[in-house]
Parts: sequence; structure tokens; C-alpha cells
Amino acid sequence: MEKWECMVCGYIYDPAKGDPSRGIPPGTPFEALPEDWSCPDCGATKDMFEKV
Amino acid sequence: MDRYIIVGNGVAGVTAAQSIARARPGADLHIYAAEPYPYYRRPQLPDYIAGIVAEADIFYRPPEWYEQQGIRVHLSAPVAELDPSAHRLRLADGAIVPYDQLLLATGGLAWMPPIEGADRRGVFTLRTLDDARAIRQFARSVRRGVVVGGGLLGLETARALRTLGLEVTVLEFAPYLMPRQLDREGAAVLETLLHRMGIQTVTGAVTEAILGDGAVRGVRLKDGREFPADLVVCSTGIRSDVALARQAGLAVNRGVVVDENLQTSAPDVYAAGDVAEAGGIVYGIVPAAIEQARVAAANMVAPGSATYSGTLPATTLKVVGAELTSLGECVAEGTDLLQLRRADPQNGRYRKLALREGRIVGAILLNEREHTSPIRQLMERGTDVSAYTDLLMEENPDWNRVTAA
Repeated sequence: MEKWECMVCGYIYDPAKGDPSRGIPPGTPFEALPEDWSCPDCGATKDMFEKV
Repeated sequence: MDRYIIVGNGVAGVTAAQSIARARPGADLHIYAAEPYPYYRRPQLPDYIAGIVAEADIFYRPPEWYEQQGIRVHLSAPVAELDPSAHRLRLADGAIVPYDQLLLATGGLAWMPPIEGADRRGVFTLRTLDDARAIRQFARSVRRGVVVGGGLLGLETARALRTLGLEVTVLEFAPYLMPRQLDREGAAVLETLLHRMGIQTVTGAVTEAILGDGAVRGVRLKDGREFPADLVVCSTGIRSDVALARQAGLAVNRGVVVDENLQTSAPDVYAAGDVAEAGGIVYGIVPAAIEQARVAAANMVAPGSATYSGTLPATTLKVVGAELTSLGECVAEGTDLLQLRRADPQNGRYRKLALREGRIVGAILLNEREHTSPIRQLMERGTDVSAYTDLLMEENPDWNRVTAA
């Protein structure tokens, strides 16, 4: 599964890790994140991410 | 063909330019930037100072990116004057730039409090890449650093200086760190984390003077205490850069006042990001800059087509590597609230739940990653947890028992 990078702050979303503190279990591909998911580090919206 | 001009090259400026380019391919679209650099990632500046992120990596976009998007970018091109009635700008070099639609996305400036000695050599603020470069350069040859201001940026800066090997002390005005996100007990756990990194913290510290003759020698507090320092970074807040708007006679309060379409008091002039004051609020956060930039861009292309109704601040932030979530009435006090606290300074963890009539109405969670989502759910559902107050404070609660209630 591909990693995605936040254009604003450089945070990398790794599907293998997910985003557990917001209920996103490991193994969740970026495409499957809810539309209102945002960067855990800076809050940028999902569409500010690009594939690494 | 309409000419779209954006003043400012940060998150708001670049996001707005991209939105306009998508809505109007081939538009006459320009960004004017005071700084000499293409877009860079401001949130990474502390990591750049620390040497964790290379300078090349904070330039996420290559300079050609603008052209590929249909955006003409003018770097090192500060704007000196705005004449809204004539619909034109005058650049610092004298060039006149007419516009049809204008966006002010000039961002913010680091605010330097009126401290005696703030002009000494070795005193810095951190906002731009040039600031970060200067701090990094100066930090190489010195031993002791003081950071005035224990907010998020101040603490990240302290960590960066510590990573470079400096002895670091943070001086915070408030009685404890991050009072909007943490209560006193939670702040104590955060301080433990900082101390373990080798960063000293002093709260309730009112900085009175920066000492030295020419170069910095130390910092003196109002109560007379002195802290020796070779380098001082003042991280005491950001103020909207309203100079251009004020000169142009636009309505300005703390920021440039905008309506729900993000238009300023002048027709065809919009504002977004850290410079804008929308609904009485200067947000100063990334998600607001993005949302405002998109709304402003939509209205520049099709007037009145989009409205902005505010941005909820993110509930989770990263501070010196720790994950901090603050939900609802996180720092509220009151006799109608039952406060449950679990502090584990050894592991840098803290959990505080505020209950009203058996329901969780506020929470502070420091390094409680795996418990954040279940607690958020209990809050949102308004579950009555009054029978489970012991379980809620266990190290690893079996959340299924509560959610099944």
C-alpha cells in the first residue's frame, strides 16, 4: 500500500500504521480514510496529500 | 481576460492560486512574494534548525511547479502600496501592477514584546526560513539558549536547540505550559517529558530584560532572577501582517476584516490565512488557511459563490514528539464537573476526563493514543459512564465494557 505525504508539513501517512488515535486501524489505505480526515500533525485536509 | 493577483506565497496564497488555476485554466494569474524562496514548509523550520530535515527537503515544490500549474510567481517582489479604487499595486521596485481580483495572503509576523535589550546580537524570532538559517548558524558557536514563550513553536524551538547540544531553558509567562490545551496536572507531565530531554522550564516567568552589551549575556525576569544565555529566541506569538491593508485604508482590526465571502472592506480585494480576521477571529492555523483560501478563490472567480463559516481547531497536536488531544471542556473548572485524572509522568502519559451528570464533556489525553478514539466516541454518544469511573482510570481499560453499556 502506498504512503502519502502532507504537502504542508511533511507528515507521512503510512497505511501499515493507520491513525489509531482517531480510530483508523492499521492496514487502512489512504483512499479509504474518511473525507473529513485531516493531517494529524498540522490539520491540513485530505486533499493536501500527495502520493510519495 | 481577468487578472488575478495574490500577495503572499504561504499555504493560503499557494492554495488559492491552485484553486483559481483549476477553475480558470490559462488565467492571468500571479503570486507576488516578498521572500526570495518558492513555497516552503514552515511547520518544518524547527526540524530544519535541529538538522533533522535538510534545507532541500523543506522546499516541497520545485520552482518549476508554479509554471506547470499555470501560476506566474514573482519572488523577492514585496508590494509597497495598494490602491483599491484604482485596482492596482505598486511594488517596492516601483513597478505598477494592475489587477481585477486581488487576494491578500501576507500571513503573519513574529511579534517581539517590548523587552529591554531585544535588539542585542543573538536575539531572534522564528517565522521565516531566513530566521531559521540565522538561528541555526548562530547556535553552532554557542552553549546556552533561552526560549521566551512556551507555546507550541517555543517548545519545538527549544527541542531543536537541545538537539544541537545547547543547554536550553524555556521561560513561560503563564502559570503552567499550554494552558488552553492542558490543566496544571497535565502540564506537569509535559514538563517532566521536557526535563527528561534536558530542557529546563520556568513558568510564571515574566521576562523583563535581555542582558548584555552588544551580544546577549542572559535574560532577567521581573522577580530579579537571571538566566545566562548566549542565544535567545522570542516565541511570543504571531501578529497578522496588516501593513499593506492598513496603508490602503481597508478595515483592519487584529487582522484584515473580511465578510463571509472573505472580501475585505474594498470591492475585489479578498484576504485569507493568518492575515485575515473572519467572524472576529484570526485563526492562525493551517486548516483555516486552506479553507479560507479556497472560499476566497471561488469568490474571486465567481463573486458570491462561496461562504466561510469558520474552522474548528484540530483537537490533536504534536508537541515535542508527544501526542496531545484536548476535547470539549478540557480545561473547564466548576463544582458541577467531576474531574478524573490519571498521571503517569514516568511514561509521559496523562488522562483527564471531565464528567457532568455522568457524561464525559471534556478530556485531555497526553500520549494516550490507543484510548483517544474510544473516549471520543463515548463523548460524542453522550454515554452515561457514571458506573464506570474506576474503569475509566485503569491503565488499559476494556472499553468494550463501557461502550456496551
